[in-house]
Amino acid sequence: MQSNNGYYGEFGGSYIPEILYSSQQQILHAFEEAKNDPAFIAELKDTWQNYSGRPTPLTFCKNLTDHFGGAQIYLKREDLNQSGAHKMNNVIGQALLVKRMGKKRVIAETGAGQHGVATALIAARLGLECTIYMGAKDVKRQYPNVFWMKQLGATVVPVAEGAQTLRDALDEALRDWSSSHEDSHYLIGTTCGCAPFPEMVAFFQSVIGEEVKEQSMAQFGQYPDRLYACVGGGSNACGLFLPFLEEKQVEMVGVEAGGKGLELGQHSIRLSNGLGQKGIAQGFATMFLQDENGQLQETHSIAAGLDYVGVSPIIAHLAQEGRIQMTYAMDDEVVEACSLLLKKEGIIPALESSHALAGAFKDAPNLPKESRIVINLSGRGDKDIFNVAKAMNDATFPEFLEDYMADYNSDNEGEA
Amino acid sequence: MSQLAQYIAEKRQQKPILSMTHVVYGYPSVKESLDWMATLLEAGADFIEVQFPFSDPVADGPTIVAACHGALHDQTLTVEQCLKDIGQLGRDFPQARIALMSYLNPMYRYGLEKLVKRCAEENILGLILPDLPYEQAGDLREYCAANGIDPVWLVTPVTPKDRLAFLASEASGFLYCVARSGVTGNSNHNGGEQQSLDEYLAEINEHSNAPIGVGFGIREKAHVDALKGKADVAIIGSALLDAYNKGGKEEGLKLFNSLFNA
Repeated sequence: MQSNNGYYGEFGGSYIPEILYSSQQQILHAFEEAKNDPAFIAELKDTWQNYSGRPTPLTFCKNLTDHFGGAQIYLKREDLNQSGAHKMNNVIGQALLVKRMGKKRVIAETGAGQHGVATALIAARLGLECTIYMGAKDVKRQYPNVFWMKQLGATVVPVAEGAQTLRDALDEALRDWSSSHEDSHYLIGTTCGCAPFPEMVAFFQSVIGEEVKEQSMAQFGQYPDRLYACVGGGSNACGLFLPFLEEKQVEMVGVEAGGKGLELGQHSIRLSNGLGQKGIAQGFATMFLQDENGQLQETHSIAAGLDYVGVSPIIAHLAQEGRIQMTYAMDDEVVEACSLLLKKEGIIPALESSHALAGAFKDAPNLPKESRIVINLSGRGDKDIFNVAKAMNDATFPEFLEDYMADYNSDNEGEA
Repeated sequence: MSQLAQYIAEKRQQKPILSMTHVVYGYPSVKESLDWMATLLEAGADFIEVQFPFSDPVADGPTIVAACHGALHDQTLTVEQCLKDIGQLGRDFPQARIALMSYLNPMYRYGLEKLVKRCAEENILGLILPDLPYEQAGDLREYCAANGIDPVWLVTPVTPKDRLAFLASEASGFLYCVARSGVTGNSNHNGGEQQSLDEYLAEINEHSNAPIGVGFGIREKAHVDALKGKADVAIIGSALLDAYNKGGKEEGLKLFNSLFNA
């Protein structure tokens, strides 16, 4: 979606410290050139295909469809990307741009760690130095991803400021960029931040929706009736939705994290129920969760990747225009939806993506049998094994951990 | 002529360089922060740059970030009360001036037009918003022009030459020259940098009609002395806060005096 000088309606823009002006302009021009350069696009497509495994399948879910007895349910399988999430689409695009700009280092923020791992993967492949900022709280709840980032050669910096989550990681990444902009690129993971990041990330993610267009025509001869995506920063939603914007008959539903309840601090709902208010922070204008004095507030979600205080200016605008309907799913509904997909279809979804499932499952029984819905399965759930085991009250998991620890310690003692 | 620029010009008749000391409003408490500001003014500070805390201060380094988070931790700060408090401070110390610094969001929520009007009422003549670039500040510029308030633009060593010339020519109260890359608080002065800082300030002086303030990385008397004849105001922030954190007002004052009264 083309912005109006960096704006989408009243959202977006570029509100950055003066020190970043030149670097931001450089990215703006480099992206403008690159997206119109057939050689760049060819390299991008080649890397998507041969490194990340695109195109990802569009999977019909017969069992789920029968289970609900309503709409025919399809999943867009972004979980099958290299790295296990849609995040790869964007990092490949931006990393190729980094090479083009001649920079040697990338900085990234990460919440769940998916974007951090994706960035570390592509940095290893393209020989870029890589520093990942991650809230200290997220480091704890997503340690397996931290482990892999480190193994991939990235430096992981736990951010102990503020609430120690994605928002603080983003602040810290911006601070790093302020002092390292001459040789470093801020490889933002979602459709947020100053222009041109929202537009650029949406551009790289739009491969999702473009593929769904082709696949839906091939599989059932028309576009889907409804699309569902979870909305944290908004990149997987932008990726699925934007190619369908002009197809007015295609309805779009964004699902935010309802967390534990609707009190401030318990959820990450920015666009429903009047819970978010317009603000300008972290480089752009959007709907933020904030208090009446303009201080950004803490958020919660069982899915670290949705636990963010702001939201894409593109999604904020399309929601305001009514083009996208916004809804939310609570933590317990999300775990239920995750469990249902496991049992019915043999697919392990990320808890982030399980929000989209939960939103769609609520509607599916009430939709006509001939209608078709596509849910963006933005990531796979392997990374969530600890959190899902806890949420499902799995009795044997703690035993496994204890045994594992005993074994781990005795092996290490043996070596020492 | 801008009231702020006039004040600086008059004061510069008596002093080779003026001092702007930065204090985070509400840190560690509102009372203590106001008390610390008063102490600095008694010691002869020409300006206080009062930072109204924001939860996500992206242009600041660890010292100021921690102070902002500390200030917001267990009390509710309102822009209105801050304006009242620092307005009173300005009336108590009429020989000095107060500038307000914050990030855009708390000011935006308060209302930019109301903010500028209230600043004028409280004689807070300068407004520093590091995440509001000139191009995005059309409304604010209009309100400021109507109320005799100066929006303070920042320039940096990596600001392109034509943009630097433009921002310098647009400056009214004073132009805030960031001495180096990065966030507030680091110090990486060396001989080579001094030379490039001199060239950078010379370039700015060529284009600026307004006085020049220099901040970021000023920690020692030598840094302040090096600015004499090249800039009008030395801005001291993180170093002062570090000293205050280390030994309270006494330690902070010692640093201030060593920089400006020695």
